[in-house]
Amino acid sequence: MNVRHVRLLVWKEFVQLRRDPMLLRVVMIMPFIYLIMFGYVVAADVTHLPTAIVDLDHSVTSRQIDSAFSSTAYFDVKARPDTEAALQTLLNRGDVRVAIVIPEGTQAALDTGKVAGIGIVVDGADSQSSSVGTSYAMRIIGDLNEARAADLGAGALPGVDARVRVEYNQTLASVNTMIPGLLASVLMVTLMVVLSQAVVKERESGTLEQMFTTPVSRGEYLVGKLLPYGLLASAQSAITGFVGTWWFGVPFTGSVWIVCLGLLLFMLTTIGLGLLVSLVSRTRHQAQQTIMFVMLPMFILSGFIFPIESMPAPIQPFTKLIPLTHAVAILRASFVKGSGLADLAEPLLYLVGFAIVIFGAAIVAVRRRLSE
Amino acid sequence: MEQSVVRIRDVIKKYGAFAAVDGISFDVAPGEVFGFLGPNGSGKTTTIRMLTGSIAPTAGTISVLGNDAVRHPDRIRTRIGYMSQKFSLFEDMTVAENLRFYGGIHNLSKDVFAERREYILNMADLRGRESVLTRDLSTGWRQRLALGVATIHQPELLFLDEPTSGVDPVARRQFWDLLYEMSGAGVTLFVTTHYMEEATNCTRLAFMYRGKVIADGSPRELREAHAAGGPLPSLEDVFVELVG
Amino acid sequence: MNGLDRVLAIVVKEFRHLLRDPRVLATVLLLPVAQMLLFAYAISFDVRNVPTIVIDQDHTPASRAYLQSYSAGGFFQVRGEAAGIGDVDGIFRRGEASVVVVVPAGFERAITSGGKADVDVLVDGSDPNAARMGQAYALALNRLYGQQVAAAWAERQGLDLSAAGGLDPRVRTWFNPDRQSSIFLIPGLVAVILMIVCVQQTAVTVVRERDLHTAEQMVVSPVTHTELIVGKLLPWTILAFFDMGLVVAVGMWVFGLPLRGSVALLLVASLLFVFASLAMGVIVSTIAPSMETANVMALMLAFLPGLLLSGLAFPLESIPVVLQWVASVFPARYMVDISRGVFLKGDGFADEWRQLGSLALYTVIVLFLAVRLYARKVRT
Repeated sequence: MNVRHVRLLVWKEFVQLRRDPMLLRVVMIMPFIYLIMFGYVVAADVTHLPTAIVDLDHSVTSRQIDSAFSSTAYFDVKARPDTEAALQTLLNRGDVRVAIVIPEGTQAALDTGKVAGIGIVVDGADSQSSSVGTSYAMRIIGDLNEARAADLGAGALPGVDARVRVEYNQTLASVNTMIPGLLASVLMVTLMVVLSQAVVKERESGTLEQMFTTPVSRGEYLVGKLLPYGLLASAQSAITGFVGTWWFGVPFTGSVWIVCLGLLLFMLTTIGLGLLVSLVSRTRHQAQQTIMFVMLPMFILSGFIFPIESMPAPIQPFTKLIPLTHAVAILRASFVKGSGLADLAEPLLYLVGFAIVIFGAAIVAVRRRLSE
Repeated sequence: MEQSVVRIRDVIKKYGAFAAVDGISFDVAPGEVFGFLGPNGSGKTTTIRMLTGSIAPTAGTISVLGNDAVRHPDRIRTRIGYMSQKFSLFEDMTVAENLRFYGGIHNLSKDVFAERREYILNMADLRGRESVLTRDLSTGWRQRLALGVATIHQPELLFLDEPTSGVDPVARRQFWDLLYEMSGAGVTLFVTTHYMEEATNCTRLAFMYRGKVIADGSPRELREAHAAGGPLPSLEDVFVELVG
Repeated sequence: MNGLDRVLAIVVKEFRHLLRDPRVLATVLLLPVAQMLLFAYAISFDVRNVPTIVIDQDHTPASRAYLQSYSAGGFFQVRGEAAGIGDVDGIFRRGEASVVVVVPAGFERAITSGGKADVDVLVDGSDPNAARMGQAYALALNRLYGQQVAAAWAERQGLDLSAAGGLDPRVRTWFNPDRQSSIFLIPGLVAVILMIVCVQQTAVTVVRERDLHTAEQMVVSPVTHTELIVGKLLPWTILAFFDMGLVVAVGMWVFGLPLRGSVALLLVASLLFVFASLAMGVIVSTIAPSMETANVMALMLAFLPGLLLSGLAFPLESIPVVLQWVASVFPARYMVDISRGVFLKGDGFADEWRQLGSLALYTVIVLFLAVRLYARKVRT
């Protein structure tokens, strides 16, 4: 590999980038905008969830339950239908996002020392009702139980005293896990979009053909595309990472080296993917279509916003085929849990594997496709 | 006979079942201005690509400047130049930047590069316009710059793929003057075109049609061969006769 | 040749361009449907089958019975046992489990002697949602178990049982028995996907045209800029509607999405929305000097904000006011509201007039901007 050639290719790429200031601005500034948006939108506090309460018991306990929910800021009791069937309309229309159902016979069950089930109805598609809403509702019921137990002297009875502790990210702030994931996602979006055009552009203008009649080798060409964008992406990541963690006060407990390694590998795979698309596309338009087609599912299925554990079982294994999934996992674990090299061996190895496969494919594609 | 600069024997290039080049053979002697004519889709561009070592033939042998173009294309690339129909310049870079890039790619030393840069700027009449973006140049200038870039390393053999398409007749004439200068200096030229008038500028011609070479010789030879005892037909007539 | 004929000519030309490239067509038509299927099927915030690892240091029937109860519900998924507490950090760091339950020695003894048995439940906070749920479920499970223990004991001792009774929260997920439908999501998705497709397409189309210098040719002929823009946008509008129809059809068929409200409202809103999105694309294209930039900008403007600021996945009521203002800059939020209203709530023009008005105003402004910017751009 001729170093002078690579240096020239990198220089050329930077010259061309400079001539497109809008692109640079977009690549460097957009991440900040996202940072802000994501950080605030996702971390928003849930309060005033529209709620419905169906009291079928009409007892002291059921009224206690009702007032417990009414008096908290988390729930905004909007309706008190007489039947459970009435909930259907309310939930369907979105008038209400959470419903509490107190069945008949609740008080009776309690008085005889039995367990009375209280229904908490949520919509699985709604992020807030299904997690935050549920957990608050459960907490309220739990508190009621505690109060009741204390009143009735259940302290004398045996039971289980569970100490539930949160390890890592004790504040359960969503920001702390979103920002690391955001780093990887933004990187992916900008790199793939820019790179998917990189080669096609040259093929369309004929400069690619020209270049390969000169002593430039295919390897040099690939490296010459890799380096400048890799450098650019690194700068973007570093800045975004620093600002993000500083602005939102995201704690960082892991090793900077592992984060760098993970990001580097991820960059390689992403650049490789972008190049691959660019190599197999005939026109820039085609390249852009393909990238859109590829990127959106990757984004959705990577576990960045929507948790993988909540996805249907058949889909879950496929999420491992997405480089972003592993990047997000590595970054999150590093930031929040301080995971070490051994802990993250699996996702790191996946990324290494991807990098090898993808670049191998790119090299083959360069050899075959360029001449057509 | 001197060593041919280009020697093609029984070359076939297939894309699936379609034969873009279907068994062609010819030689190009050093110092010639070799014209490669034929309509679009005749296989001209594919042939040139095989000659520059960009693609490999399905069958046959190709020797360029004494090297096997199939097995050692890299050895050829330092000694050939290539100028394409699109003028293949980096549109978003300046004249000077384009020159610097190609000069470096061909590993020119600082002195040699300085010399060649001067020469090309003069030849292309771009003195004082070094910082102009290539895309802001008009076609005539871009054409000449493209020629300069293709010859910055003073190749022995220069491929020109439809170098004058889209260029006005005056610029075209000037361009050919430049080509003659190079030929005079000993550079072998391999030109493809579908303009018949340009064919007369060449020392030898090959007609290509549907993947085959249907005629091969100097312009005069070809015209005489198809005279049939009457006045000399034009090259266009010759071609029409061959194809029809 | 009057204005309408010229517009028609441009429309035909644009269509011919499109049909020439099958890949483009496939993407434009199939992508939205595929995406919708993917989203609706795969996306959920419903937490289940949380990987759990148990550590039993008591090794008694009581401790085993207790740990068994974790496998009973659908929330915890016990993956295995670990030897000792020293393992816990590693388990979390490696991501092997999100919850670890530790039963210390003396569990059975405490229970059978009428006391309280201690149990430690550790939850990985790196997934805040799952952690919150994990906390809640763990506490609930333990209370339930404790109550059962207490009730059994009280009965044996002949004590008043009422103290042992307790409330057990039972979570039911509406609409989602088998995660078949996410009715809440789909109407919003329809809007967002459309927007993404529209903004992207136009941004790139116009830039491409410019790059190929054909735009200059157009300006020479007697076409006004308005006619040009309308002519360019029309084919995409038609395609977008086709898309939307497809997406809605699939939504209704496969996911049982109801359509309770005014179809007329939906169509009018969609028309406005599509035009607004396309106009946004044109604006992007005038600002972007190259195709990549057009691409990137269109994506940045349509894609992520569409997902975040439209009310699709995250309700807008909870976010800071500043961001709510920003959200108003994107037409998606109005469309999502109207869409949900029509599909789920049975709304008509009267119910959504405010949203519709905002959308109409927005569309007019954006179209105006688009024409002006485009005209200026081509003139330079």
